[in-house]
Amino acid sequence: MNKTIIININSIVFHIEEEAYETLRSYMIDIKRHFGKSSDSQEILLDIENRIAEMFSEKIHAGRKEVISLDDVNHVISQMGKVSDFEGETEEDIYEQANANSESETHSHIPYSAPVDKKLMRNADDKIFGGVCSGLGAYFNMETKWMRLIFVCFFLFGGSGIMLYIILWIVMPVAVSRADKMAMKGESPTLQNFKKSFEEEIQGLNPHFSKAKSEIAKGTAAVGSGVSKVGRFFLRLIAFFILIVCALTLFGLAIACIGFITGVLGYQREMVFPGTEFLNTPQAIVALIAGTLAIAIPFFALFQLMLRILFRTQPLNHYFSLGLWATWISSIIAVVFFSFIGAQEFKESSTIKVEKPINAQKVYYISEKDVRLIEASEVDKNGKKFKIELNGEDLEYALRRDISINFESIDSLAKPYIQYNYFARGRTYQAATTNAAEINYLANQMDNKIIFNSHFGINPDKKYRDQSVSATLYLPVGSRVVIDKSIEYKLRDLSFWDCQRAYDSDEEVKSTEWIMGRTGLQCTPRFLPIEKKSDTEQTEAAVEDLVKQAEKHAKEAEEHARKVEEEANKLSERVAVTVQ
Amino acid sequence: MIAENTQTQMRKGILEYCILSIISRGEIYASDIIAELKRAQLLVVEGTLYPLLTRLKNNGLLSYNWQESTSGPPRKYYQITHEGNEVLQKLDVTWKELVFAVETSLQGRNESNN
Repeated sequence: MNKTIIININSIVFHIEEEAYETLRSYMIDIKRHFGKSSDSQEILLDIENRIAEMFSEKIHAGRKEVISLDDVNHVISQMGKVSDFEGETEEDIYEQANANSESETHSHIPYSAPVDKKLMRNADDKIFGGVCSGLGAYFNMETKWMRLIFVCFFLFGGSGIMLYIILWIVMPVAVSRADKMAMKGESPTLQNFKKSFEEEIQGLNPHFSKAKSEIAKGTAAVGSGVSKVGRFFLRLIAFFILIVCALTLFGLAIACIGFITGVLGYQREMVFPGTEFLNTPQAIVALIAGTLAIAIPFFALFQLMLRILFRTQPLNHYFSLGLWATWISSIIAVVFFSFIGAQEFKESSTIKVEKPINAQKVYYISEKDVRLIEASEVDKNGKKFKIELNGEDLEYALRRDISINFESIDSLAKPYIQYNYFARGRTYQAATTNAAEINYLANQMDNKIIFNSHFGINPDKKYRDQSVSATLYLPVGSRVVIDKSIEYKLRDLSFWDCQRAYDSDEEVKSTEWIMGRTGLQCTPRFLPIEKKSDTEQTEAAVEDLVKQAEKHAKEAEEHARKVEEEANKLSERVAVTVQ
Repeated sequence: MIAENTQTQMRKGILEYCILSIISRGEIYASDIIAELKRAQLLVVEGTLYPLLTRLKNNGLLSYNWQESTSGPPRKYYQITHEGNEVLQKLDVTWKELVFAVETSLQGRNESNN
């Protein structure tokens, strides 16, 4: 029982046995290769095909059969002539020999001298499973059995050989035509090599089929096709997964881009891409779009590739893909450019120091006012439209909350004051100073209350330049300070949390009490005697300190006195000597 | 190798002449040309013939027409053109000259050998 294949030669249909088909196929490939160079190749090939079709028809009529066998094909080939028989009889050769037979000599004398690029292909003629090992052997100039041994070794080490073999089986194409086989062995496709390969095949034909190996090969062929089917299925699954990830990424990028642009335009403040606030609005929009494209285009390309693999869609239009490349490159350039511009705006920094006196109080109540909270009674607008103002200015301003509050001690008799440090960056020192000077932030004192605004404003046109305010309260030693919880996060050197815990209270502590010591604020819950104790402890410690110092001074004085005495003694002795 | 080359060249020149002569007798099919050549003991495979015929046709020496065939696809029947006939006559003259030249030189050789 033989498998037959239906072929069609110049629109005449033949049934042909599989082996016969393979032989015919490689014969036709050889012929095409041989005549391909001449200008009339099309016509010659058509003539030959017609003649082959005719001979097949004759065979079928004469033999009263329906299927072309290998014998028939071999007969037709012998009648038509092998490619090697055409040699020296065609136009080309006349031409070549007329040309001082230089070329034909290099062909005939040293046919294997110029190795061509080898192709990694599976060798179907010498296979146990998929012909992977013999293909690798041909590629690396190794005998097939050594390559097989290597794979067996790999298999012994944790079975990795099987995975490798299956992957290679899927990846490596099978060498079908004679040209493929020659490329696999690295032989240049000259006529002599074709002839040699053909003869090898004819010789190898009979022993090949007698080998028991071929039985195993047939048995595993079914498994093999199953393996490559499963492999292909997994590859398709992976491709599908990548496709979906790419699609979602592109979708997300589009949404993010639109979101960030509305952020830059000021429609919302929740979503501002970090860094875009460094740029002015048009620049920021261009930078955002460029950034999005720089990320999106590779994903789009991957998406397109997966589409092509999965659904065999047409490749992208040449101009379109070229355009994509250009867009991608220019987006990257734009991103780099805007990053540079953005960084330039932060090159220099400047700090303006301002000292404002405050009225001395026994107790200072420090709290924060959330400028975003409007007290209607304060504004008194008759329930109409409220206008948010900050320090008398419209809140068209972008709000910043980079504010820190510190406490320092000064002499108990000195006048208290607040020192503000306004900090900003800019392209130049001048720009940085201008930016710093534009910060308008002062604390309000109402009797014993000192109120810090939660934010300061910067004009949106001026943009973020790392503006920050640091306010330091210089208070005389012994001043009492009550710090409201609302201002907790503005404190830098103090731990509101630690002090809060010192209260041992189940209730929520709304504010903490502190007393200014010589080294800074001390946590003194409820100004209780504990703090007094701690205060006395402190004074005691100070007294001790003083005592120690006094003792030290006394010792030094004593030492000095002794030295002076010694000197005096020496002098008096000398005087006595000179007198004598 | 040199002998082979010369042999090939000789046969090549003669082959064309023979084919033209065979076709000049009347319309003929490619495989019949082969049969004729085999009868003349000029061993050629069909694959060699098609390029030659195509070249002769392109040079205007031959023309062909399609004819229906009972066994398979339509066949190309070749016939010689007027131009082909002129070339053939020239070749006839050359051939006679060659035959004379070869015979003369062969005679000379035979004589000297004797």
